[in-house]
Amino acid sequence: MVCNRLVGQPINGRIIGGCRRAWSYLQKKEKEKPLSIINANIYKEDIVDKHQAPNPSPLYRLYHVPLERSIGGFRPILHIAEHLHRKLSFQTDIAESDERIEALEALGVLLLVDLEACCTAVYLKCVTLYLKDELLGLAEEPQGDPIFRSSWLDMDVLYRSGETPQGILTYCPRLISVGYQGTLGSLSSSDPLSYRTSQSDQSGIFTWSGNVTRHMAEPHKKNLFLQSLCEDENSNMDSTDHPFHENFHPQGQVSDKDRVECLQSGVNCWTDFCKVQYHPRSLYELHRSWTDDQKMDHYGNGVDVLSHSLHGEEMYERLRFFVEECDHIQGIQFIVDDSGGFSAIATGFLDDIVDEYVNTPVLLYAVRSPCAYVGGKSQKESFSRALHDAISFGRLSSHSKLMVPVGLPTLSKLSSALLIEDQKLFHSSAIYASAIHCASLPFRMKSPGPTAESVYTSGATDMSGMVQFLAGQGRQNMINILDLAMPVPPLTDQTNPSPILQSLCSLTPEIVEHDDDLHATEALNIYGSFSGGRRATVGEIEQHINDAYQNELRRPQFCHLSAASCPLPIPLPFPSIFSRRVGRRGELSECSLISGDQPRGSLDVESVPMAARLRSTSAVKPFIERRLWSLRRYGLERGAPGVELLRSWGFGREDVEDMEEALAASVAKLDPQAYASEEDLDSE
Amino acid sequence: MSLRVLNPNAEVLNKSAALHMNINAAKGLQDVLKTNLGPKGTIKMLVGGAGDIKLTKDGNTLLKEMQIQNPTAIMIARTAVAQDDTSGDGTTSTVLFIGELMKQSERYIDEGMHPRVLVDGFEIAKRATLEFIEKFKTPVVMGETPDKEILKMVARTTLRTKLYEALADQLTDIVVNAVLCIRKPDDPIDLFMVEIMHMRHKFDVDTHLVEGLVLDHGSRHPDMKRRAENCYILTCNASLEYEKSEINAGFFYSNAEQREKMVAAERRQVDERVKKIIELKEKVCSSSDSNFVVINQKGIDPPSLDLLARTGIIALRRAKRRNMERLVLACGGEAVNSFDNLTPDCLGWAGLVYEHVLGEEKYTFVENVKNPHSCTILIKGPNDHTIAQIKDAVRDGLRSVKNTLDDEAVILGAGAFEVAARQHLVNNVKKSVQGRAQVGVEAFADALLVIPKTLAENSGLDTQDVIISLTTEHDRGNIVGLNHHTGEPIDPQMEGIFDNYSVKRQIINSGPVIASQLLLVDEVIRAGRNMRKPS
Ligand SMILES: Nc1ncnc2c1ncn2[C@@H]1O[C@H](COP(=O)(O)OP(=O)(O)OP(=O)(O)O)[C@@H](O)[C@H]1O
Ligand SMILES: [Mg+2]
Repeated sequence: MVCNRLVGQPINGRIIGGCRRAWSYLQKKEKEKPLSIINANIYKEDIVDKHQAPNPSPLYRLYHVPLERSIGGFRPILHIAEHLHRKLSFQTDIAESDERIEALEALGVLLLVDLEACCTAVYLKCVTLYLKDELLGLAEEPQGDPIFRSSWLDMDVLYRSGETPQGILTYCPRLISVGYQGTLGSLSSSDPLSYRTSQSDQSGIFTWSGNVTRHMAEPHKKNLFLQSLCEDENSNMDSTDHPFHENFHPQGQVSDKDRVECLQSGVNCWTDFCKVQYHPRSLYELHRSWTDDQKMDHYGNGVDVLSHSLHGEEMYERLRFFVEECDHIQGIQFIVDDSGGFSAIATGFLDDIVDEYVNTPVLLYAVRSPCAYVGGKSQKESFSRALHDAISFGRLSSHSKLMVPVGLPTLSKLSSALLIEDQKLFHSSAIYASAIHCASLPFRMKSPGPTAESVYTSGATDMSGMVQFLAGQGRQNMINILDLAMPVPPLTDQTNPSPILQSLCSLTPEIVEHDDDLHATEALNIYGSFSGGRRATVGEIEQHINDAYQNELRRPQFCHLSAASCPLPIPLPFPSIFSRRVGRRGELSECSLISGDQPRGSLDVESVPMAARLRSTSAVKPFIERRLWSLRRYGLERGAPGVELLRSWGFGREDVEDMEEALAASVAKLDPQAYASEEDLDSE
Repeated sequence: MSLRVLNPNAEVLNKSAALHMNINAAKGLQDVLKTNLGPKGTIKMLVGGAGDIKLTKDGNTLLKEMQIQNPTAIMIARTAVAQDDTSGDGTTSTVLFIGELMKQSERYIDEGMHPRVLVDGFEIAKRATLEFIEKFKTPVVMGETPDKEILKMVARTTLRTKLYEALADQLTDIVVNAVLCIRKPDDPIDLFMVEIMHMRHKFDVDTHLVEGLVLDHGSRHPDMKRRAENCYILTCNASLEYEKSEINAGFFYSNAEQREKMVAAERRQVDERVKKIIELKEKVCSSSDSNFVVINQKGIDPPSLDLLARTGIIALRRAKRRNMERLVLACGGEAVNSFDNLTPDCLGWAGLVYEHVLGEEKYTFVENVKNPHSCTILIKGPNDHTIAQIKDAVRDGLRSVKNTLDDEAVILGAGAFEVAARQHLVNNVKKSVQGRAQVGVEAFADALLVIPKTLAENSGLDTQDVIISLTTEHDRGNIVGLNHHTGEPIDPQMEGIFDNYSVKRQIINSGPVIASQLLLVDEVIRAGRNMRKPS
């Protein structure tokens, strides 16, 4: 928020990460002040006093900058404060005091905390984050497409502004990312804010006067992409005198093409393509008590990890840190890879969250990579896998308000416009992240106020509204399906009256293909779609969907439509997964645009229009039924083979019976007759 | 952070190979950890692949940082970490002891001795040592007013193995006073009631004990006082946030007016709760020089903060769960879960409440309390490494004091116990044992000496000389430990070097159990390879 009206110079002709540059700009700003708070070793006693004094504190200055330099169509900060007030629909008189402080407080109003666990989830989160970052970056670009500049997104919903102990201003996502020790690659969990500019060894050992021995692990090699991020950072730091220097080339020998190629050929770890800077409390590493990587990972492993340590408490504490800052927390978006022990860890964490944040909705995505479906053919493995699926589904679903299982066994057949390699986590996470990003945009849209209509967006809602809409009415089904269309076809198509609806494919596995549920509810999000060569307006999209549903045989009972004219920007580290039918702005053509068989990536495709949909329907029934069946067959029946295994995971017979009951109830809700007959009763 | 991968290549091994693999793994782990031991050990700087640095002198932390793959080494590491979980110390000693038991056994096995014989001897020796430790321990009576001097000596011994002397000595008082503060006669000691807080600020020697609590957050309203004296404290766990109820979620209004009404009704409920707090405040703070502080585990939204601020109340939201308990122990009163039946009895009291801001971090100090049973150790240091070091050491120190209070006994340190136990086994026990099990007893006895030997080695002394002079002095009838400066025998009692009884006991107990399992191995399959050949 603060950042996007601060800076706007492309580096190497392309934006890499918005906040970071804003941030280094701010650092320079600070340098000009007589008080040098950049110096890394000053302990800020004196600066602290400045904070408390009524005179300009660093934060105060931060708010002044945008007013002086508001670039493009940004509203000055005070409007935002007002706007938030209206949104809260109650008035406070704090405004009498310092307006800017007030603005600062009010900006913390709508907050989302993201949580995630394990590799797929982390990969995914990383992509989602850089997608957000990219939007911010594009918004800064003065020459860019005006569509990106419309500042229709409220970044503060997910980001927080802060300050390092050295007085450097930061803008980081409000997020906790949990992973096993040693899965951070070239990123350091203790100092994730610095772009891997490796810590100096001279940090000095103050606590021990005896001998020191050093043990060096083999350094992680930084790929070209990361190297360029570092260089960027350093050059930004050095060029004190040219904060707004256009096209500043550091040692610009490495082209973007090289960077994209290095990512295409080898991503070993999510940190290889991550350009987001995290708050030091965001990355949490779990100690795994030396389990062998090769051993099959299941629910029990996670139970072990949590049982012997203070991990649970520490994760909870970190969450509390982010929540304490929030004036009003919108909800918690929780992404977990539930194919292994992390589902147990997530359950443990959710236990705490549900206890403490009673009315805060948890939107849970249980995500799997296609790799999770490979292997494990032996009988023992297959039944323990089935039990794992059942247990982890049963536990996770009981802890959230809305759960969306995501993860197909293969993504290669998803769309003819996409070329996805299943074994690359980098690819599948890009798809899932785009879908989740898209589905969460309504939570972050700036609503223009109760009466005004925005030309850029429609359908803003908050998370509890959305959850209530999807899971709180009709069948009250809280297991939802996620659909995606990427890129989404243009609205106008002579041969097809509802191109958008037909292009949506499910990312949720094991569901009924032809959904004929008359009591379904759905939330449809469409961004940046075309209408005959130009961007469709929000009104056109709405009209189109309305008409399309008129022509459909099957219609949901309720549909919440959210639309924006801004498409999904494709950032530099996005994998090259587009086929040659996809054009620069994501438009689809019938035949290949160019010859050759190279997939197209971020250098050829700048943005894609897309649509994502959350569906609450009986089509998800087979998914739940299968888990119910496994639970009965392997865990409950007489002589069931999994009883011992379940006990070792901490589930006694009664627990399993309870879970079976709960799953059976969710299945019953989806019975075609169930809801209808209830309605009849009601009407009688 | 891979320090060393122990024995990477092994599949199904025959008996003897398996045994040697176990022995090597145990020795390998011992080699890594042995330089850690004692006041002359080396601190380890671990530089990770990302260039991140971890510093540690603690066996437990070091083990957890290592990527261990060998199943035998994992087993030993687990035992050592479990040692730390239950008694808080002795990780390094456990690894060394197990390693040395294996090393001693190796000699005899190479001579053709069956491992079973050794294991039988271990069992006898273990029992004899556990009997011996009862005679050897120094009982301390911990009544109403515990002997503070002995507690300090135990804490200092531990702290000096982790921090330089002057800092260790300063922290000694802090940890002893902290434990005595939270101790209630007849109740078990709950160390969680000592809050450990840190600030990246100033110097390590600025670490101090706060009698009261330090919270890591501050008030979120610009008009609230940043400092107040003579404060009533209301500790609560009830929401002061406007929350949308389910029906009120947004899609079900026929018109905007109806929506506004719903919202207003919800809002009123929250305001009612705030009013109850304000009423209580008016009741107790009739005199103008007293103040009122609300510390809530749940949220407080801006309108509620505003109402509270206008009546001069300081309010903090989202306090730590554990602080509910700590606040009550520190300030008195009780933690309330609803605002319905508030009475002045619910309130605690603190002489001073103030906020301290450090960059983006805010801290609230609740100090000058009466008769506290909870306190905070506030660690300061110029960088994260220093803070982490001190934090680890403080944990060890607190555990050692608690152990002493629980055990009502201590053990003379600096190798004194190990030398005495070894001489006892060799001179008395071994003779009473029939047959070849004697060998096991002897192996066990010699393995005990790993502690004084390693202490000597880490001090750059000649281990042979040291052991000879210690055993000779011992056989003259004196209890002797190692002077790590000179290598001369000293009386640890005079020097005030004491270890925890329960820690020593557990090492003696668990070491031979693991060693025996490793010796009696019939076949080891490298875990994880699952015998499936990669095709
Ligand atoms: N001043 C001293 N002189 C000689 N030996 C000492 C002295 N202080 C402590 N020791 C000995 O050092 C040993 C403890 O060392 P240390 O604390 O490094 O290892 P540990 O307790 O086994 O493992 P850790 O603390 O890493 O879990 C004890 O045997 C103790 O008797
Ligand atoms: Mg110790």
